[in-house]
Amino acid sequence: MGNHKKYWKNEIELSSDNQMMDDIKNKEFADKLPSDLFLSDQKHLENTNTNRRDFLKYLGFSTAAATLASCEGPVNRSIPYVVQPERITPGIANYYATSIADGYDFANVLVKTREGRPIKIENNTKAEVKSSANARVQASVLSMYDSLRLKGPMHQGNEINWEELNKNIIQELESMKENNSPVALLTQTFASPSTSKIIKDFRKKYPNIKHIQYDAISESTALDAFEIAYGQRALPSYDFSYADVIVSIGADFLGDWQGGGHDLSYVKGRIPVKDKKNKAKMSKHFQLESNMSISGANADKRIMLTPTQQKIALAKIFGYISGINIGGELPEKIDLSIKKIAESLIKSGEKGIIITGIDDVDAHLLTYAINDLLGSVSYKKEELSLIRKGNDKEVLKLIKDLNNGEVKGIIMCGVNPVYTLANSDDFISGIKKANFSVCFSMKNDETAVESKWVAATPHYFESWGDNEMVSSNYSLTQPTIRPLFDTMQFQDCLLKWMGSNMNFYDFIKDNWENNILINTGWNQALHDGVFKSKEKNQIKNISYNYNVSANNLSSSKSSGLELVLYSKTGLGDGQQANNPWLQEFPDPITRVSWDNYLTVSKADAKELGLKNYNVSNGALDSNYANIKANGINLKVPVIIQPGQAKGSVGLAFGYGKTNAMKREMQVGVNAYKLYHNFNSFQNVEIEPVDDNHEFACVQLHNTLMGRGDIIKETNLEIFNTKDVEQWNSVTKVSLNHIETSVNSPDVDIWDEFDRSIGHHFNLSIDLNACTGCGACVIACHAENNVPVVGKTEVRRSRDMHWLRIDRYYSSEETFNKDNNRKDGISGLSDSLSVFGQMEEPSNNPQVVFQPVMCQHCNHAPCETVCPVAATSHGRQGQNHMAYNRCVGTRYCANNCPYKVRRFNWFLYNNNDEFDFNMNDDLGKMVLNPDVVVRSRGVMEKCSFCIQSTQAVILKAKREERTVKKGEFNDTCACSAACSTGAMKFGDINDKESQVSVLKESDRVYHLLESVGTKPNVFYHVKVRNTDET
Amino acid sequence: MASHYEAPIRKPLVTGNKSYHDVSVDISNAVEGKANKQWWIVFSISMTLFLWGVGCIIYTISTGIGVWGLNKTVGWAWDITNFVWWIGIGHAGTLISAVLLLFRQKWRFAINRSAEAMTIFSVIQAGLFPIIHMGRPWLGFYMLPIPNVYGNLWVNFNSPLLWDVFAISTYLSVSLVFWWTGLLPDFAMIRDRAVKPFQKKIYSLVSFGWSGRAKDWQRFEEVSLVLAGLATPLVLSVHTIVSFDFATSVIPGWHTTIFPPYFVAGAIFSGFAMVNTLLIVMRKVSNLENYITIQHIELMNIVIMITGSIVGTAYITELFMAWYSGVEYEQYAFLNRATGPYWWAYWSMMTCNVFSPQLMWFKKLRTSIVFSFIISIVVNIGMWFERFVIIVTSLHRDYLPSSWTMFTPTFVDIGIFLGTIGFFFALFLLYSRTFPVISQAEVKTILKTSGDNYKKLRDKNG
Repeated sequence: MGNHKKYWKNEIELSSDNQMMDDIKNKEFADKLPSDLFLSDQKHLENTNTNRRDFLKYLGFSTAAATLASCEGPVNRSIPYVVQPERITPGIANYYATSIADGYDFANVLVKTREGRPIKIENNTKAEVKSSANARVQASVLSMYDSLRLKGPMHQGNEINWEELNKNIIQELESMKENNSPVALLTQTFASPSTSKIIKDFRKKYPNIKHIQYDAISESTALDAFEIAYGQRALPSYDFSYADVIVSIGADFLGDWQGGGHDLSYVKGRIPVKDKKNKAKMSKHFQLESNMSISGANADKRIMLTPTQQKIALAKIFGYISGINIGGELPEKIDLSIKKIAESLIKSGEKGIIITGIDDVDAHLLTYAINDLLGSVSYKKEELSLIRKGNDKEVLKLIKDLNNGEVKGIIMCGVNPVYTLANSDDFISGIKKANFSVCFSMKNDETAVESKWVAATPHYFESWGDNEMVSSNYSLTQPTIRPLFDTMQFQDCLLKWMGSNMNFYDFIKDNWENNILINTGWNQALHDGVFKSKEKNQIKNISYNYNVSANNLSSSKSSGLELVLYSKTGLGDGQQANNPWLQEFPDPITRVSWDNYLTVSKADAKELGLKNYNVSNGALDSNYANIKANGINLKVPVIIQPGQAKGSVGLAFGYGKTNAMKREMQVGVNAYKLYHNFNSFQNVEIEPVDDNHEFACVQLHNTLMGRGDIIKETNLEIFNTKDVEQWNSVTKVSLNHIETSVNSPDVDIWDEFDRSIGHHFNLSIDLNACTGCGACVIACHAENNVPVVGKTEVRRSRDMHWLRIDRYYSSEETFNKDNNRKDGISGLSDSLSVFGQMEEPSNNPQVVFQPVMCQHCNHAPCETVCPVAATSHGRQGQNHMAYNRCVGTRYCANNCPYKVRRFNWFLYNNNDEFDFNMNDDLGKMVLNPDVVVRSRGVMEKCSFCIQSTQAVILKAKREERTVKKGEFNDTCACSAACSTGAMKFGDINDKESQVSVLKESDRVYHLLESVGTKPNVFYHVKVRNTDET
Repeated sequence: MASHYEAPIRKPLVTGNKSYHDVSVDISNAVEGKANKQWWIVFSISMTLFLWGVGCIIYTISTGIGVWGLNKTVGWAWDITNFVWWIGIGHAGTLISAVLLLFRQKWRFAINRSAEAMTIFSVIQAGLFPIIHMGRPWLGFYMLPIPNVYGNLWVNFNSPLLWDVFAISTYLSVSLVFWWTGLLPDFAMIRDRAVKPFQKKIYSLVSFGWSGRAKDWQRFEEVSLVLAGLATPLVLSVHTIVSFDFATSVIPGWHTTIFPPYFVAGAIFSGFAMVNTLLIVMRKVSNLENYITIQHIELMNIVIMITGSIVGTAYITELFMAWYSGVEYEQYAFLNRATGPYWWAYWSMMTCNVFSPQLMWFKKLRTSIVFSFIISIVVNIGMWFERFVIIVTSLHRDYLPSSWTMFTPTFVDIGIFLGTIGFFFALFLLYSRTFPVISQAEVKTILKTSGDNYKKLRDKNG
C-alpha cells in the first residue's frame, strides 16, 4: 500500500538542511564524547581512587544486578522454524488419512496433526468399511508418545545400530538357508497385500522360512469352520442393518468379536424412525451369553447361559430350523425361549441372522449353515473379513518344533507370545534353544526380552503400509510424523534382508499402481486413505454334514464352573496396556478402571464366599478368588456381575503386563495364562482367598432407583401405537391450579433471552444408537487435555472425565417394572424396604447407557452461584468456564444436578505424584495446543469443544463469509468420534442442520427437565423391541 | 442502666455480699494475678492443636484440596460444616449483648462480655474456612468487588457466597466495635488499678482515654444502644445469608425455604450451648460463681431448650414438606438422610439437638451444673452433625444415581477442625487472662437492685 504521509516531531525536522537534525539522525551522540581527554590524562587517572561512596555504589549496583540476574524465570526452549515446512501453518491443523492395523485393531482413520505432531484420531468417513475408531484406536495416538518405547535396535539387551543388526541377521539367514534348517516367521495378522507380497518374495529367497500368523485372541475356529464350509480361510462380513432378528450366542459383536466394527450396521437397524404410516421398525436382538457384554447390554432379550448351555442352545436352534431333532439337556424355561427364538428366526427368513462367539469349529459351522438356510441377507460371506488369520494349530506346532529343535530360528513381528501364550514357558524354552531369534517390537516387552535380536519398530503414525481389511476394500497407512526414534519397519527390514534396494514405500506404491488401483491415481488414493475395487469375490458352498456338528455340540457336558475369557473395551488384547488413557477408561459394563477381575454371578459368589463391599468413602473392595485350571493358579479380585450366568465366571485379557510398563500401569492379572488351547471357555475351580483388593470404580451405585425421568424408555409397540404423552410425558407443575408442563414459559420466573440470533449449539444424544462403546470418552480426553489421575484418585471418586457414560441396571427385570414399583410405594415402611431393595440390581437386568457431559443449561445452576463469575453463559448457548478467574470454591459442582464438573484436586501436570503422560516431555506432545492445561484448584468441564466451534467461526470470518450450513456439524470431539451417530452436534439456529431436525423428533427429552435448567443437550427416549407392554 | 426497682421475688443476680470494690477486685483478679498450672496445661494443649491445624492448612495450600476427603460428588464437607458451625456459635454473643440489651434483660451483664468474645473468636475460625476451602486461596481477593485492570470484570452479585463475604465481614466488624465499646470503662478500671508502668501504658491505650466523666457515660450508653440496634438485624441476617448458600441451590435437601429461620434458631441454640460450656468452666476457674450464678445458667438452659424445640420443629417440617411436596428427589433425599448410609449422623443430630434439650423441662436438671455442662457439649456435637447432615447427605446422593458416592474425612480434614478448636480456645484463654471477663461497670449498675446483700437489706428494712 502506498502511504506518503510524513510524520514529524517538530518543525525543524521539516527544513531539509539543518545540521542539528542531521546529527540527531546520524549520530548516536550529537557531541563527541570526551573519552580521549579523560583517558589520556594519565596523571589524573592515577590520582583518582575509588572512594567509599563509589564503592557502595558499585556494590549496590552489582548486588542488584546479580539478584536480578538470578531471578530469571524458567527457560522454555522453543525452536522456531528456520525454514517453514510446506503445508504447515502454525495454528492450523493438518489431517492425514491413514489406517491402523496392529493385529488386533483395524480401522481407517484420519490423523489430526498440529505443527507436525499427531494429536488426535478421527473417523475416516470416506471408508466404507472399518471407518470407526474405537476407544483403543482413539487412544493409540498416546501410545506413540510412550516414553518406554524402544529407542533403537538391541542385541541381548545392548543397544546396537541397524547395520550391525541387518548384517548379522542376513548372515544368520544365509547360514540357515545353507543348512536348510527351518526358520519360523511368526507374525500378527497382516491384512496387507504388499506385506503378503514381500513375505512371499522373502520366502522365495529363503525357502526354509515358514510363515505363521498368530492372533493373541484367536478366531481360529471361525476361520477353520469357514474353510470347511466355503473352502477359504477367512471370516464373513455381516451387515446387521438388514436384519429383523439378530441372534447372538456368546458373540460380543458390539465389542471386539471378530475384530469389531459391527456396531455401525447394527445401530442402523435400531433407530426407530416413523414412516408415513406412523410406524417405526427396528430389529429385535436376542443375546444368549454367559458374561454381561456390551452386546448383551444392548439386547432386547438377554438369556443367561453357561458356555455348555450356549453350545446346546445353538445346536437346538439349528435343529428347530433344519427340522431335525437334537438332544441335549437345557432347563425347560430356557428351552422354551430358544424354541421361540428359532421360530422368530424362521419367521424372519432372510431378515434373520445368527452369530456365535463359541470357540468351536462345530458352532461356527452351524451358524454358517443356519444363515445359509435362512438365506440371510445380513450374512455377507462374499465380503471376506481379512483381519483375523491366526492359526492355532500352527502356533502350537511351532512351540513343539522349537523345543524339538525342528525350527532353528524365529522372526517375530507384532506379536508378544511370551505374554499372550498360555504355555509361554514352553515358548521361552523354545526360543532359547533356537540359533537365532529376532523380535520386531515397539517395546522391550516380554518377548523382546527373551529374544536375541530386538528390532525397534515405529508406531503406525511413523509407518507406511496398506490394508485390505475386507476383501476389495483397500486402505493405506502413511506416516504423519518423522520417526521419533531409530526405528525400522518390519517390511523394510525384510526387503533389506532379501537384498532388495527398494524401500517399503516404493514397494507399496509399485504394488498399488500395478495391481490395485484402477482409474484412480496414487496421490488420490493416499489422500483418501481408502480405495474400493470392484472385484467381486465368489464363494462356493462345500457340502458338509452339519447334523454331526449339531450332535457334537448338543452332547457337550460341563463339570463345575466354566470360565469365559473375554476382551475389555479398554485394553483389548493388551498391546496398549501402558496407555494411561485406556487404563483410566472405565469399563462400559462394570465401570471399573485400572483392573481386570473375575465376574461372578451373585448366586455363585454367595456359594463360593466371594464378596464385594464398599469402604467408608464409598470405594469398592473385594476379596480374591483363586482360579485353578490346568495346573495354573491365579489370584484374581472379584466383581459380582449382574447378568452373569450362574455356573459361569468371566475374566478379561490384556492385563497383568509387567515389561516396559510404568509402575502405575502394572495392574490386573494375566488371563492368557488360562487361555489353554486358545479356547475362551475353560473349566475352572474357584476358592476364595481372604485378602482385600481395592478397585477404582467410577460408578458406585448401579441401579436407576426407579427414576424414570432420567432415562425415559418405552417399547416399540407403545411407541408405534400410543400418544407421545404416554411414553414421553413432561413433568407437570401446578400454575394457579392448572397443570402446566415444566418446560412451559409460563412457569419460568425469568424472561427468556432471544436465542434465535447468531449460533446456538445443541447436542443430541440418541439412547437407541448409543452402544456404550466409549470412543467418545477417549476422544474427549484427547481433544481437551483431560488429565489422567491414576488408580488411587479414581478410587476416591475423583476421575476427571468430562464425558462419562453412565450405565444403569434395572433392579426388577425391566426398568419399566422399576418405575412401577417405585410408583406403587405406599407408606413409610414400604418406601424404606422398597428403596433398599431397589439398590440391588436384578440377576439378569436390563441395561442402559447414558452419555452425560455438561448439559450447557440455559438456566445453569452453576452460573448463579459462582461468586467470581468464573462460569457464565455464552451467547451461543455454551456454559463457559474461565479457568483464570476460577478460585475453586466448588460451589458450582455442588449445585450441578448432573454432577459433570470436575475439580483439579492436585496439580496433574509436571507432578511426579501423577506420573502419566503429562509428566514427561514425550507424553506432553499429545496435548492439544488449542486447549489450556488446567492448573490445580480450578474447576473444569465440557466446553462443547468451544475451540472447534470458534475455529469454524474464525475461518468463516477470515474468508469473509457467513458460516456454511451444517459447518458446525460434529465439531465436538465426542460427536465426531461417535460412529453410530448417537451423538449429533450442531447449530439449532441453522434450521437444516442435523441437530435441528433431530430436535423436532417426538422422542426428545431433556435430562431432569423438572429442575428447570433448560439444557442444550437433549436425549432421545430409548425404545426397546421387547414383548412386554 | 440506672438502678431500677426490682421485685423482691426475683432472685439476686449477684451473690456473695459484694460491694463495688469487691466487684472490681474479683474481676481484675484474673488480669492482675498469675496464671495457674491448669491454665498453662489447657493453653499448651490448645496451642498444640492450633499449630497442628496450621500445619494441616499449610499442607493443604501447598499441595491441593485433594488432601481432604472430598470428591467429584461431595464438593463440600467438613470445610463448610465447620464454617457454618463456627458462625452459628458466634450468634449467641450478639444476641446476648444486643437483643437482650434492647429487651433490658439484666442477667446478660454477667455473660455478655465473654459471649461477645466468643462470637469474635468463633467468627475468626469461621472466616478461615471460606478462604482455605478455595482451590486457589491466593486469589481470594477475586471475591471482593475491587477495581481491576480487566475493565468491567466484577464479582457475581447473584452468588450467595458473595453475600456471605459481606455478611460475615459486616458481622465481624460490628461485633468487634460493640465489644470494644463495652470494654472501655472496664479497661479503664484495670488501667486505674495497674501498678506496673507497662500494663498501665497498654490499658491506657486500649481504653481510648476513658475518663469516667458523665459525658463519657452518656455517650457510652448512646453508642451501646445504637450499636445494639445495628447488631440486632445482623443476628438474623448473617445466618439467614449463610443458609442461602444452601436454600438458593437446586439440590434436594438444600433447596428449602425454611432454612433462614431454621438456621437462625440453630445458631442461637449452638451459641448458647457454647456460652454455657465456656462460662461453666470459667466461673469455676476464675472464681466468678457469685456473678455467673445458677440462675444465669438456668436462663441460658431455657433458651437452649426453646431454640432446640424450634430446631426440632424445623427438622420435622422438612420431613413433612418432603412428603407433602410429592417431589420424588426431595422425598428420597430425606429418606436417605434418616435411613441411608449416613443414618448415624442424622440420628446423632436428632438425639443431640431435639431429644436431649427436652430434659431441660426438669428444673432439677437445668439447675445442675454438671448436667448443663454435658448438655452444652452434646448440643454442640449435635449442631456440628446438623451441618454435616445437611451438606454431605444431600450431596452424596442427589439426582443421578451414577454419581452417588460417599465421603470420608482424611487426617487433614480432622486436623484443620481440631486446629480451629485449638485456636479458639487459645484465644479465649488469652482473653480470660488479659480482659475483664465480666462487664463490671454494668454489673455495678445492678448491684444495688439485684445484689443479694442489698436485697437482704431491703427485705429487712422494707
